[in-house]
This record gives sequence, C-alpha cells and structure tokens, in this order.
Amino acid sequence: MSATVLERLERLPRRNLTVLSLRGISTLVPGGWRNVTSAEELISEVMGISDPELIQQVRERADQLSRARHEGYTRAMSLYDAVNRSQKAAGGLRVLANVTGGLPLVKRLANLTPPSDTLQAADLSLKVASEMLAFTQVNGLPGNSFSDFRASLNEYAGEAKVRMAALVCFDALLPLGDQALERMDGLLGRVGHQELRQLPAYAGMAAMIPGRGDEAHLNFLRRGVDTWLDWAGGFVGSLGLTSQRAVRALETTLGPWQGGFQQLAIFLDAFTDTYQHTGVQAVARRLVERAAAEI
Amino acid sequence: MSRTLRWVLGLLLVAGLLIGAFLYLPFRSWLPGGTVGNVSTRLVVNGPAFNPLFPKIHPGEQLVFTQEKRGFSQARLKEGETTKALLSISDVLTSPSTRAKFSAAKLELQSWPLVDQGTQASALLVADRFQVKVIGQGAELTPDDRHDLLNAFDLKGLAALAPETPREPRALPAGKGAPLKLPLPQRQREAAQAAPAAKSAVLEPAA
Repeated sequence: MSATVLERLERLPRRNLTVLSLRGISTLVPGGWRNVTSAEELISEVMGISDPELIQQVRERADQLSRARHEGYTRAMSLYDAVNRSQKAAGGLRVLANVTGGLPLVKRLANLTPPSDTLQAADLSLKVASEMLAFTQVNGLPGNSFSDFRASLNEYAGEAKVRMAALVCFDALLPLGDQALERMDGLLGRVGHQELRQLPAYAGMAAMIPGRGDEAHLNFLRRGVDTWLDWAGGFVGSLGLTSQRAVRALETTLGPWQGGFQQLAIFLDAFTDTYQHTGVQAVARRLVERAAAEI
Repeated sequence: MSRTLRWVLGLLLVAGLLIGAFLYLPFRSWLPGGTVGNVSTRLVVNGPAFNPLFPKIHPGEQLVFTQEKRGFSQARLKEGETTKALLSISDVLTSPSTRAKFSAAKLELQSWPLVDQGTQASALLVADRFQVKVIGQGAELTPDDRHDLLNAFDLKGLAALAPETPREPRALPAGKGAPLKLPLPQRQREAAQAAPAAKSAVLEPAA
C-alpha cells in the first residue's frame, strides 16, 4: 500500500538543495514561504486548534480520504511523481552531456540531448497541464459555473504563489530567457509528436490527458498553456520577475553561480525536485481543509 | 518430474493467471477500498447540489469555491485578500463518527443540533445527514458570528436534499430475473402472526 498524502508530507526533506532553492525564490514573492513538513502543524494551522484529540481525528479522516482510490489524491501524487521523474531524467542527461562534451571519446553523447527550446517548451506545457489535471483530481470542478471555476483556479494559484514562481522561473525564464512567455506560443506551435514522445513524463500522463491520440493531447496542452499564460503574464508583471532577479534570489541561499542561466536551469532540473515538493504540500493543505470540515 | 506433468502444471499456471486477470480487472472498482468508508458513491449526494445552498454574501465579501467532490463542497469567504472562514457542506454517510458527536450537542439552530469544535469551528447537523461547518481563519470570528453564518445557509433546501430511504439495490443483470415474489407464503405468515394475538384476545377475559 502506498503512503498517504500526510505520510509523504512528513517524509519531505527539511533542508536540502530543493528547500534552499525554494527558499531563495520565495524572497521574490510577498508573503514568503514556510517549509511545512509536519502534519500536526498543518492541521492546527488550518483549524486554529491545538487539541491533540481533534488533530488526531482530522488526521485519521485525511488518511482515510487519501487511501480511497476514487478520490483522486493518489492520482495527483502519481502525476507529480511522473513529472518529477521525467524532469530528473532529462536534466541528468543534459548534465551528462555537458560534462562529457569536453571529452573527445564520448563527445557524441552531447549531441544526444540537445536542450532545445522546443523541448523545453513542451516540458513546461506538460508541467502546466499536469498541474491542471492534478487540480481537478484534488479539488474536483468547484462551483456550478465557469466563472466560479475560474475564480477557484485563481484562488489556488494565489495560494501556491511560491510554487508558481518556481515554475515560472525554473522552467520558463531561466532556460528560455525573459521573453519566454511571449515566445511560448510560437515554440509550442513547433512541438510535434516527436518532441512530445521524447518526454518521459508524457508516457505516464497520456492516459490522464483528455482526448485520444497525440494530436488531441497537443491541442489540450496548447489550450491549457494559453489560459495559464494569461495568468502567468500578469504574475510575472506584478512581481517583476526576470531571469536576472531569479538568479540573484537563488544566490542568496545556494551561493554564487558562475555559469549561464541555461546551465543553472539544467542544474536545478537535475538535482532538485521543487515541483514535487511544493506539489505534495499543496495537496496536503487542501486535503486537510477537507478533512477538517468533514470530522 | 515427467514431461506431461510439467506441461499440465505450466498450462494450469497460465490459465490461472489469465482467469485471475480477467476476473480482477473489470471488477477492480468493486473491490473494497475504492471509495471513502467503502460506501458506494451513488448513495452519497454529489457536491454540485450543495453549491446553491451557500450563504448569500454581503457587499465587499467574496465567496470562492475551492473544492467539490462527491458528498463534499467547500468555499472560502473572503474579504479583500484575507480569508475569513472556510464554509463547507458534507454528507456524513461516509463518516459515522461525525454524526455521533452531535448526540452530545447542547445548542440548537433552527431545531438542528449545533456543536462547537475547538475555538475556531462550529458544525451543524441537518436532517441527520448533512454537516454544515464554518471554520474561522485567523481569530476574527466569534462563536456568534459563526452561528450567524451557519444560519445564513439555505438549511431548508439542504434538508430537502436528504433522501427518505436508501435507494433500492441495483437491478440484476439481464438474464438473471428478479427472484419470484409469491404472495401466498407472505399472507400465510401474516395470518400466522395474527393468530396468537387473536388467541390472546380471546383468552384475556378468562385470565
């Protein structure tokens, strides 16, 4: 039996590269970020209580909910896992390519994985799409009208500000440059079957993306990213996010960085799991809010 | 081991695996553990039915729906950027202990039992089936504020959602007709039950 959401929350690291890079990025976001890794702390924060008996009740209910297969919490977790695995695999290959690029015998390895902009754009679109899919798995389709649903999405994005800032900085601004959001449309237009198939996460997610066949999936990804771009544009504008500022924020916790922006993006891809880390925390919070309301 | 025996064992193993797979796959959703508390989802009232029953908001406030599942719907009451409270309606069918806590309720609201949980939460059980809950965020809401919020829900509409009796079990698949209902044995049983009463009525004067 796989671990419940709250068990996974408690297994999250308290201090490692992932946490440090998130802490760095959070200096750009008003409100900051706390690395919540204790279920009891989360529950008492949501309910405003310190009664251990009540906390235990909430916890039992939350575990019961996350064990039920129909409820979608496990599915959201596996989405995050798939994206994370794919990101690490791709990042690892690129690190390898960078390292081996200097050695004459294994130089050809460097040509295997060109960190092309198109591939990066496809990767970002997969992350955005899996974020939306995970949202519907965890929260359903809140509200009885489309505007309700939109408000709900905005609310979620506002709550997960650091998560979104990490997504924007690590997967768009750093690898694709400051004009990343404006370029996304053109880049996604060039994404075809091959690029999609090259992403390991796609294989794991294909069954959960609505529509049949690569073409339908691509359409879904493009539409998903379009709606996200609207929001992300405003987000980047209001916080004044640039790749320069992102690097400076990261340097406050990770130490000085000598290489280029792209290398930093590759490094973060290969050695941190920010997407999964904040994903587990976001799901845990929603789950606890539900469990607290149901006991 | 003889050659034929090995073949038979191998084939048996394959057949067993195949049969197991074919039996297991289609009925996977029927196995226990799929739903919350193993209660069939079709018995639980769906979330969208709850949404129109949330309180009408005052000007300056905002109601943002955040979660909606089978048997559950939740919204945040916001004023500007700050969240004042989490409002939610849930079906307690999947959580018997939730219903049990109302047996000790001292307060009442529109004749439904009302319970305060900790310092920030108040819960109301409507029609012995739905729990309406207000969880204050930040220490702004007093218990009275929370009770007012609970009162602002459309509680009559919510009570009307409760089904009177649990629904009939699903129809049997085609080819397996319903068990025959013979009226005769039932009538006989009724008569048999009625008989002792009649007898005692007769005997009563004698006793």
